[in-house]
Amino acid sequence: MNWSNILTATLSAFFGVNAMYFALSAIGLNVQFGYAGLLNFGQAGFMACGAYAVGMTAHYYGISFWWGVPIAVVYAVIFGLIMGVPTLRLRADYLAIVTIALAECVRLIVRSVTFKKYFGGSDGINQFANSFVSKTPFNPSSKYSLYPFADSVNAVGSVLLLVSFAVCSVLLGHMLAQKWAKEERQGFQTKWIISAVAVMAFLMIASKQTEYDGLSFKSLVVGWILAAVIGGFIYMLMRSPWGRVIKGIREDEDAVRSLGKNVYSYKMQALILGGVIATFSGIMFSVSRGSVQPDNYSRDVTFYVLTALVLGGLAKVSGSIVGPMLFWAILSFVDAFLNELAKSWGGHVDIFGIPLITESSHIGVYVQVVIGLMLVFLMVFRPQGLFGNKKEMALDGH
Amino acid sequence: MATDEQTLSETARIARAALANVAPEPGVAKPDPIMTAEGVRRSFGGITAVDVERVEIQRGSITALIGPNGAGKTTFFNLMTAFDTPDTGKWWFDGKDLEGVQAHKTADMGMVRTFQLTKSLTKMSVIENMKLGATGQKGEKWWNGLLPFTWLAQEREIEARADALLARFKLDHMRNEYAGTLSGGQRKLLEMSRALMTNPKLVMLDEPMAGVNPALKQSLNQHIKGLRDEGMTVLFVEHDMDMVHDISDWVIVMAEGMIIAEGTPDQISSNPAVIDAYLGAHQGKSLLEDL
Amino acid sequence: MNPGDQLKKRLQHLVALLLVGLAVFGMFAEPAHAEDLAVKVRVQNQVQDAGTGKTKKEPVAGVKVVVADTSGAQVGEGVTDDKGVALIPLPAKADYTVTLDESTLPEGFALQEGGAERQVKGDAFVTSTVTVNYFTGAANRATVGWWSQFAQRLADGARFGLILAMCAVGLSLIFGTTGLTNFAHGEMVTFGAMIAYILNTDRAITPWLAFPVAIIAGGAFGLAQNEFIYSPLRKRKIGLVSQMVVTVGVAIVLKNIFLRILGGRTKVFAAFNNQDCKRVGPICVTPRDATTALISLVILVGVALALQKTRLGKATRAVSDNPDLASSTGIDSQKIIRLVWILGGMLAATGGIFRGLDEGVGPFIGSDLLFLMFAGITLGGLGSAYGALVGSFVIGLFVEVSTLGIPIMPGKNWPAPLDWLHNGVPSELKNVPAYVGMIIVLLVRPQGILGRRERVG
Ligand SMILES: Nc1ncnc2c1ncn2[C@@H]1O[C@H](COP(=O)(O)OP(=O)(O)O)[C@@H](O)[C@H]1O
Ligand SMILES: [Mg+2]
Repeated sequence: MNWSNILTATLSAFFGVNAMYFALSAIGLNVQFGYAGLLNFGQAGFMACGAYAVGMTAHYYGISFWWGVPIAVVYAVIFGLIMGVPTLRLRADYLAIVTIALAECVRLIVRSVTFKKYFGGSDGINQFANSFVSKTPFNPSSKYSLYPFADSVNAVGSVLLLVSFAVCSVLLGHMLAQKWAKEERQGFQTKWIISAVAVMAFLMIASKQTEYDGLSFKSLVVGWILAAVIGGFIYMLMRSPWGRVIKGIREDEDAVRSLGKNVYSYKMQALILGGVIATFSGIMFSVSRGSVQPDNYSRDVTFYVLTALVLGGLAKVSGSIVGPMLFWAILSFVDAFLNELAKSWGGHVDIFGIPLITESSHIGVYVQVVIGLMLVFLMVFRPQGLFGNKKEMALDGH
Repeated sequence: MATDEQTLSETARIARAALANVAPEPGVAKPDPIMTAEGVRRSFGGITAVDVERVEIQRGSITALIGPNGAGKTTFFNLMTAFDTPDTGKWWFDGKDLEGVQAHKTADMGMVRTFQLTKSLTKMSVIENMKLGATGQKGEKWWNGLLPFTWLAQEREIEARADALLARFKLDHMRNEYAGTLSGGQRKLLEMSRALMTNPKLVMLDEPMAGVNPALKQSLNQHIKGLRDEGMTVLFVEHDMDMVHDISDWVIVMAEGMIIAEGTPDQISSNPAVIDAYLGAHQGKSLLEDL
Repeated sequence: MNPGDQLKKRLQHLVALLLVGLAVFGMFAEPAHAEDLAVKVRVQNQVQDAGTGKTKKEPVAGVKVVVADTSGAQVGEGVTDDKGVALIPLPAKADYTVTLDESTLPEGFALQEGGAERQVKGDAFVTSTVTVNYFTGAANRATVGWWSQFAQRLADGARFGLILAMCAVGLSLIFGTTGLTNFAHGEMVTFGAMIAYILNTDRAITPWLAFPVAIIAGGAFGLAQNEFIYSPLRKRKIGLVSQMVVTVGVAIVLKNIFLRILGGRTKVFAAFNNQDCKRVGPICVTPRDATTALISLVILVGVALALQKTRLGKATRAVSDNPDLASSTGIDSQKIIRLVWILGGMLAATGGIFRGLDEGVGPFIGSDLLFLMFAGITLGGLGSAYGALVGSFVIGLFVEVSTLGIPIMPGKNWPAPLDWLHNGVPSELKNVPAYVGMIIVLLVRPQGILGRRERVG
């Protein structure tokens, strides 16, 4: 068994494109579900809004790719309104059902032959992001490492990435410190610093194991900075009176309504804000690949983002950023581990005579089973995420 | 009650004097009503939960709404505060027609209610619960949320007001705890003080004493009287007849959705229709035992 | 310190240790690249059945496919086997071009949408295999008069509506009694179809035994879900929204287990296969379809009557109406809930078997119906079993009939959604109007046709 393969896959996934676009999407879902309690099961639809907005600029409208960003925001707002208007006055189930059905509608429509002219059918849209791709300071065909002492590293990129590393490590350290500090504030400072340093060290070591191609690397720099900035905004917003109303609605919307807040309007704001953030996830994902494909926005994507979010912890900005990292690291670990296992067992994995893996495509199935199990167990035993706060957990019984 | 007369506050005397000449009959007109409902009906499937021909609530008074379980008191509250819509009927608050007005708007107009099943926001701290109650907050606009200088001053003001209220309701020691850690009685207090953060004209309390321990009940009584002293009108649902007697200026009795009696506490406790309603609903238990 | 805390502490230490180990190991190990990668090309011929208007997919063997990298150099080639599949190993996760050699297609076959050349992106390798699908064959629809087409769609729609209603009643009953919106209900449908398929086709058991066993297994499956998942969650007082998220996780797990057991391709039952359709007036229906429709109808009427007349049915409705009141009148609500899960599981399994007879058995046949069930339930009114029944029937009928246009509009040059009225909804989008309909219902009458407003306070 080649542990080195497994390790490389796991660590690359930690900061990879998948973790990046999931983080953006999870920040949005966190606003909706984590803070406002709105069970949006149509996040993939919002992501598709972003992807297709930028994809269609060149393909259909024949305008510069950069127009895609404002168009994406407009799409997301419209999509959010369509979702919200019929459901936000009703109980939570309706929102879940309608959002998932609408996202499915979007997927069906964009992949249809009928609307191929606009959306490119099941092949999607390719080669639209040339103005993003070509402006890259990184050569798309060479490999870039995050490791500051590697040969192929680009100074600009590694500085930028180190900055976002620092942000991430501060967030992660903050969480670990909260978790480890026995009495909330005592010894907080030192532990906080120790954790941050430990995380930084881990990141440096992890970076040695990983490398990305030029386009991915550029997308990662842009995407993670975007995630950090948006995360910062949400952090501030949730500490403002606006955030207080939003959190109140999650706890009990009738109580908030009785205090004179227009709950419907606030829910709509949260739904749309989260959707607009998710739209950036779609944009970043599609430009990082230079293509838009409808099947990347299936309902399962929403559920995976949800799992990643719950893994990091609901109603915490840090959770929505670290969760996706851990999520993809775990997935890639399981995938690589099973691949290696299958390889070292001669392509066949039998347990008690049950042929678990007989061809490599079976591995994906188990990876998804792991996702499902993760979602179930986290939701039941650790709704506050892996680094959840005990006090808050105790309240869940109520 | 004679003993009470001496301890009555100035506002209480005014309120009782204003109601002294009002006839004790259902739907009677009051000298200065703050809330009026007319022909309000609401049925669920076969059951008519509320069928109020006319009722007025006197401004500046403490009015008790009593009646057996299932009489429609909570539904009446829901209808008045737009948490539910009646099948027919009209109702006014402070002279304004409330038909079609949304629930949150009624709170803005100065009408605030609490719930029979307490709704404390468990995963928010007590002080956050309180601050949520303040109306007209600039920082509640999302674009201001990101610009703390637009709301920080107001926030400090609100916090001071919230702290004062918490101190008055003896919740200040729980200020930074999650509301979910409070006891049932403390939650009732929190919900009431949070409602007061809206600076209401009319406070509608749905069973504020349910589940509150006797010691706390006494101070709650004082608090409710205090509200009247500050110029607020109080309408509350209660089952404890002693307490109703103690603090209310006027009593309205509901049964099977209808207002069956109105009057001062003394008039009500000797009203045969009321005794009948309770006895009917409770199959022969004595009134005092049950209430 | 209680044992739970101790366990947590140990786990924390374990995690910390693992992280350190990983980090140390990472310092010394070298980065690696190689992996067992492949592109899986699948070629299928789409044939449209003249009678039913449904599309069937059949594998095309002996087609040559070439894979080239971005520089145009060939990195692999393959020929499709009798499953229509060619597995071509690849050196690395990178971008490739897959080209199908059209001259190797069988006589009279032509590629449909997409063209012979397809791009595979390096990022598409979520697992180690990426699948590329080719479809061939031209649809040849028989020209039949509009009215007989309409009658045919109506008949098919009614049949589909009955199946959908059967699947949805359980979903609605579970919602009514527990408040839970079960996103894994589609998997209960698939489960029944899968068990029936395995018994009937793999184990060659007569359908008269295999199908009832599968239905009973479906009931047991429902019961097991209640006993091992949702009943404990209710006892732990886990909120409904969290429970709903749990059902999503359960759906993901089950769906993938089914995928592993059944494989990705749609399978056909050994029983009642290849029947010729019999003309009945303007419509053509196979004896099998006529029988399943009749059985579905009998079952649904039976369920409706049972809810109306029997003691247990009345108790179920009482629990749905008001659980607290019901338990105060001495109804054991847990028992009712258990019953509802069993009944829901059995109905879903039956629906799954019938659907499988119709469309073949695949791992997603149930989950593909889930949203239509939701649409039906919403239309009928969340929580009302009769509503679910009627609503789902209407939705099923609507979905089938909407693919047939009403040729009344002059000129066919209308833009896409408008010309659907004239030409019918394209079958790839036939669920879209149902979903949109559901949203319109929510706007106009949120409580559905037979539902009620909720209580506050
Ligand atoms: N949403 C509802 N659906 C059906 N019945 C309801 C609903 N809300 C209230 N009721 C019924 O209306 C009647 C009045 O209830 P309620 O207002 O809660 O009484 P009270 O507060 O006086 O105890 C009861 O019979 C109750 O069952
Ligand atoms: Mg009540």
